[in-house]
Amino acid sequence: MSVLLTLPIAIWSFLMFAHFWQPNRSAQIAIIMTAVFMIALFFMMMRTRSTYRWRRWFFVAMGLLFPVGFIHTVIAMRGTMGIPIEEMIAGRTPFCFLPIPLLILPAALTKTVVFPGSILPGRGMAGAGMAAMAGMWLAITIVVGKGWCSYLCFFGGIEEGMAAVVPRAKLKKIDTRWRYGPWAVLLATSLLSLALFDSVYCMWLCPFKAVSEYVAARNTLGLVQNGIFIVLFAGLVIALPLLTKKRTQCAFFCPFGAFQSIFNKTSVFDVKIDRTRCSPCVLCKTACPTMSLTDESIAQGETLLSCMKCGACVDVCPKDAAVWHIKGTEVASKPERARLLLLYAAWGMAIMFGGGIIAQGLATILHVFI
Amino acid sequence: MAGYSIFGEALVLGLASGPACMASCGPVVVPSLLAERAGTRLNARYLSHFLGARFVGYLLFAAVAWGLGALVSLPPGPRLLVVGVVHVLLACVLFWYAYAVGHACAQTCASSKLVTIGGPRKRGVPGAAVLGFLTGFSLCPPFVAAGVRAAELGSIALALLFFAVFFVGTSVWFVPFVSLGWVRRNEAVTTVARMAMTLIALYYFYLGAMMLMGRKVYGY
Repeated sequence: MSVLLTLPIAIWSFLMFAHFWQPNRSAQIAIIMTAVFMIALFFMMMRTRSTYRWRRWFFVAMGLLFPVGFIHTVIAMRGTMGIPIEEMIAGRTPFCFLPIPLLILPAALTKTVVFPGSILPGRGMAGAGMAAMAGMWLAITIVVGKGWCSYLCFFGGIEEGMAAVVPRAKLKKIDTRWRYGPWAVLLATSLLSLALFDSVYCMWLCPFKAVSEYVAARNTLGLVQNGIFIVLFAGLVIALPLLTKKRTQCAFFCPFGAFQSIFNKTSVFDVKIDRTRCSPCVLCKTACPTMSLTDESIAQGETLLSCMKCGACVDVCPKDAAVWHIKGTEVASKPERARLLLLYAAWGMAIMFGGGIIAQGLATILHVFI
Repeated sequence: MAGYSIFGEALVLGLASGPACMASCGPVVVPSLLAERAGTRLNARYLSHFLGARFVGYLLFAAVAWGLGALVSLPPGPRLLVVGVVHVLLACVLFWYAYAVGHACAQTCASSKLVTIGGPRKRGVPGAAVLGFLTGFSLCPPFVAAGVRAAELGSIALALLFFAVFFVGTSVWFVPFVSLGWVRRNEAVTTVARMAMTLIALYYFYLGAMMLMGRKVYGY
């Protein structure tokens, strides 16, 4: 049965990775390794009926290999990780999904995109362009909602990996009000982006600039900005996940995550707590990497809006009370079917998006040896 | 007749520049308004304090600049100094506001008064008025646009009147902010507003400090 259920994903992988195929030998090996890796993980998800731990292998691999492939490309094309102002003026800044919510207000009010990139496919690092990226983001988001943050974000894997390194949390008492942090960053950066006509999050607060590319530090301004990136990365992506075993950047800071939470309302997939089975032992609350379960929400049989459908609570529940669910159906009626449908959608997109990233990172490493 | 057309021009200029004013003041108005208690009446009171004080700040700055003969082209040195000091003060007030909201809510959350800055509640100045007064000095692009036209008028009285009508035009754009009164206030909304205010304050503080150190930031 597990083989049969994996078959559609294997076919999809074949189609996707055939599209990535390159004449370069190291790239070919990387593509084959990635295809096998993705299919094997899906097979294990089907066989063990567990989601979180297998998804985590993929997610951490994507998080760690993205900087490898990306930095290599940036240095090969530009010679430096720092974006010179000339590249920004020429609209050749690579676009990632994180500033999407910050572009909405300026675009709606002034018909201007406040990002120094290219809307259509451009030269250099502009890549496929913002329109393609935004279109892909919208299509995926409507289906999986905040599931994006568990299957498609190419940054979240670094902190998830850090959180997995330690056996137990050293810092257990966390003020729940920090959960509002992403909404505050979203509000502040959206308003400042409109006022300054600038993508404020990218210029000032993105921790992942430390492992992708940064504003070339040619003056005090650049120095301060890069200092902030490094401090935020060291604190939120490395130190705090090690101390708390949580995805602290995602849970307490990321404005894109807050924005994605809104789309949990449009996605048909969610996680429910079957109150007839729940004891409650609150193991799910402890396991949740983004603190999306509280005593009150468990009592109501719900997860909070910030749930990113990673499956940690479902896998850890000893009574099968935390269940995958499709909106409009009865809770716990057919949770395995709901899980399967979500995984087909999310894994299919993960192969398309993350598969390429993993293959590129692997190819970069293999290229050193082959 | 010519006078009417001048003031009609001021009104149209204000209406046209309104979105830029709204965007420029948004980082100050939106979080502080969300930090206040719910209700359109209370939010309208906040806006009236904010806009009234902003109007006073506008006219004061225009009058002083006219007196110095520098309404349009303030020399770079004093300009950096004025804008730098205003940004640092704005940051301090926003920090205080974020603190005062938590403090006020812990004591008299049911009260229908606005958050005050300094002293006991009865003697304190509404935070909205302090923020409004400081944003009146912000030298935003619409202000400069109005300054160019006002400087062409013959007397200071006419110039100030021009500014007043211009101000009415821009203020129309602030009316939709009253609708934030419908947003239900709970711990989540208040905390988000306070955190956002703190972040924005940090940014303004940095901006102000850099200007006072004589460094150019974002074209100022």
